[in-house]
Amino acid sequence: MSRSAPVAVTGAGCICAAGATLPGCVESMFGGSRQPLPPVRFSTGHSVKYPVFEVPEEFFPPELPEDERLSRTSRLAIAATMEALGDAGLDLVQLRSMRVGVCIGTTVGSAMNNEEFYREYRRGGRPDMSPIERFLRSNPAASVARHFGLTGPVQTVVNACASGTDAIGVAASWIRGGLCDIALAGGADELCRVTYNGFISLMISSNEPVRPFDLDRKGLNLGEGAAVMVLETDNVVEGRKRKKRSWVLGYGSSCDAYHLTAPKPDGAGLRQAIREAMDAGGCKPDEIAFVNAHGTGTPDNDRVEGRVIAEILPDIPFLSTKGFTGHTLGAAGAIEAAFTVACLEAGRVPASIGFETTDPEVSARPVTETTTVNGGVAISQSLAFGGNNAVIVLGKGER
Amino acid sequence: MRRVAVQGIGVVGGFGCGVDALARALTEGHVPVSRVASIPSDGTVSLPALLADTAPLEKFFSKRAIRRIDHFSRLSLLGACLALTDAGLFDSGLERMGVIVASGYGAMQTTFDFLDTVIDDGDICASPTHFSGSVHNAAAAHIAMQLKATGPNLTVSQFEMSFASAMLTARLWLQEGRVDRVLLGAVDEYCGVLGYCRERFFGTGPDEIMKPFDFTRHSAIVGEGAAFFVLSAVEEDTCYGTIIDAGLGNLSGDTPALPEETIFFLGADGHGRCGIHYKTIVPDGASVAAYAPLYGSLPTGQAFDLAIAALSVRDGRIPASPGGAMVAGQWKVAANEKPDGRALCCLKTDSSGGFGYITIKEAA
Repeated sequence: MSRSAPVAVTGAGCICAAGATLPGCVESMFGGSRQPLPPVRFSTGHSVKYPVFEVPEEFFPPELPEDERLSRTSRLAIAATMEALGDAGLDLVQLRSMRVGVCIGTTVGSAMNNEEFYREYRRGGRPDMSPIERFLRSNPAASVARHFGLTGPVQTVVNACASGTDAIGVAASWIRGGLCDIALAGGADELCRVTYNGFISLMISSNEPVRPFDLDRKGLNLGEGAAVMVLETDNVVEGRKRKKRSWVLGYGSSCDAYHLTAPKPDGAGLRQAIREAMDAGGCKPDEIAFVNAHGTGTPDNDRVEGRVIAEILPDIPFLSTKGFTGHTLGAAGAIEAAFTVACLEAGRVPASIGFETTDPEVSARPVTETTTVNGGVAISQSLAFGGNNAVIVLGKGER
Repeated sequence: MRRVAVQGIGVVGGFGCGVDALARALTEGHVPVSRVASIPSDGTVSLPALLADTAPLEKFFSKRAIRRIDHFSRLSLLGACLALTDAGLFDSGLERMGVIVASGYGAMQTTFDFLDTVIDDGDICASPTHFSGSVHNAAAAHIAMQLKATGPNLTVSQFEMSFASAMLTARLWLQEGRVDRVLLGAVDEYCGVLGYCRERFFGTGPDEIMKPFDFTRHSAIVGEGAAFFVLSAVEEDTCYGTIIDAGLGNLSGDTPALPEETIFFLGADGHGRCGIHYKTIVPDGASVAAYAPLYGSLPTGQAFDLAIAALSVRDGRIPASPGGAMVAGQWKVAANEKPDGRALCCLKTDSSGGFGYITIKEAA
């Protein structure tokens, strides 16, 4: 089995604060709009209102109403999958006649952390079990499989903020290895008080709209959302006579083995992951049209990531789209991969919103205006807690 | 798909620490059971439990090096070190090794420790240490940091299917040549909230004996622990056998095609709702075994079954199943018989009809 065999992408879907669909997100990004606001769905005891990027309820498809038995993360994943399947031209009859796997990255979506339940438990009470039942029904990969009646392999990747990228890389491997005919791959995560308080406790949340790679960046804004891509074997996609939207050309990953929450200062792990992904994809740096960076807006991430990009992919346009979406954690890598596919098709990337002043410690500038890009290959990359680095190389398809 | 060799095994659980402790428990057929309160402030409702001790981790690292590592990650790290030691690879160059950790529930206790800081002292006093430790991949990160393993690193969480799902990816990494070895492990921990959930869902349990073959009643005893494996694409240097197949699916689709002449190591752990699905997959008259009474009921118990299957290959003998006789009588319980070249299939089902299997066989 060759690692260099490209895997066809025939559909993509996305839901996040930037838009209810992938085209909607792309339109708002090229329009330069964003709206980080204090959280609406929960309250906190912080005197400072750290802005977030919440998904409005009206963004969910009408056929997917709120369901107290299912987590918001799973609803987001299902919503993105519905769009991706429609984009791929796949109906349920076709889908259920094939071996279809589901690989979804998440963080919150796999955590048993219901605060109300736990408060009651701590008081010595006997809390109602419905939050636990919801947790047990809401494993993201299993939820997607159950919703669409799929019976292939399922895997929920919990590699913190690299989960979405890893999930796509793993699913591509499933396709190449013959584990399934179609793989639905992506990431999903919801906003919640636990992560909101957690990132503030680490002092890496910004009380202003996020400014990735800017000299005066103060940290991240959290977001929520999901994106899913449809990956298919050559046999299936050719049998369906469907145009390929993109290709997963390469995937690389590594661990810094350095610190639980901070990237290794010399960027060795990220460099290793980029090289592995490019080697697997058979790509050279001068073939890369642009890099969709992780770009969280935290001082450490952007310093390390900016330096590595400047070193091994010099003069290649790069951007962070987190200024439009917030940091959607386990969904981020998938959302950014979907944006990468859309930007390859459009032949341009939006301005890396929030950036104004170059940081001399980074020595690289993201694009500051809508920029035409040349070439048919782009990189989307993620860095994560645990020192995880994940990189995918995506190729332009036939649309 | 290419065969994958098991080069080393590291286990820690209610039975003790290491493959020798597990082999001893298999010989004796029972392990001591603790009792834990389902609500810590109320000692009146207690549950039986098989808990693991991570003190042996200090044989590998100084107290100072691991002082901030929580129980969940300590379990994982201990399992990883034991597996590498068993494979003769501890302190070896691990640059071309991948790490994959599977967990059904993740670091639950640390998650609740984080909530304690919020509830006790307010949002502004949330603990950054507990928050970073509560992330599911913290255990894999600690393994990487302590062992300087800089290769691919993945954590997956799929409840009862976690280990089989992780195995799929481990085999592909080896097949693709991404890495030379994979340190693949499974871990789950006990915490008070889990005890409460079990009590609410299943009651306190009538006794301290698990009856894995009795699918008509609930007899699960909660367990915790870690089981790790060093996997390699090089088949010749193994005494534990080779993984010849692994798969995952749901019975609402197709049932798995398993080799004939298979001995089934059922992940039956006293959960009747999960257990009934074994009857759909395992043919009448098949030889079966079940060992959950030695490691307890935990989502990643299948990893312990694989460890026991690998020991069976090594020792040329299927250990007797603890926990009583067959109730349904449709299968025969394998006991003290030789594998004789037959495949050993570690099979797990869940309450929604999901199944995961890993098949191991003596190396060719």
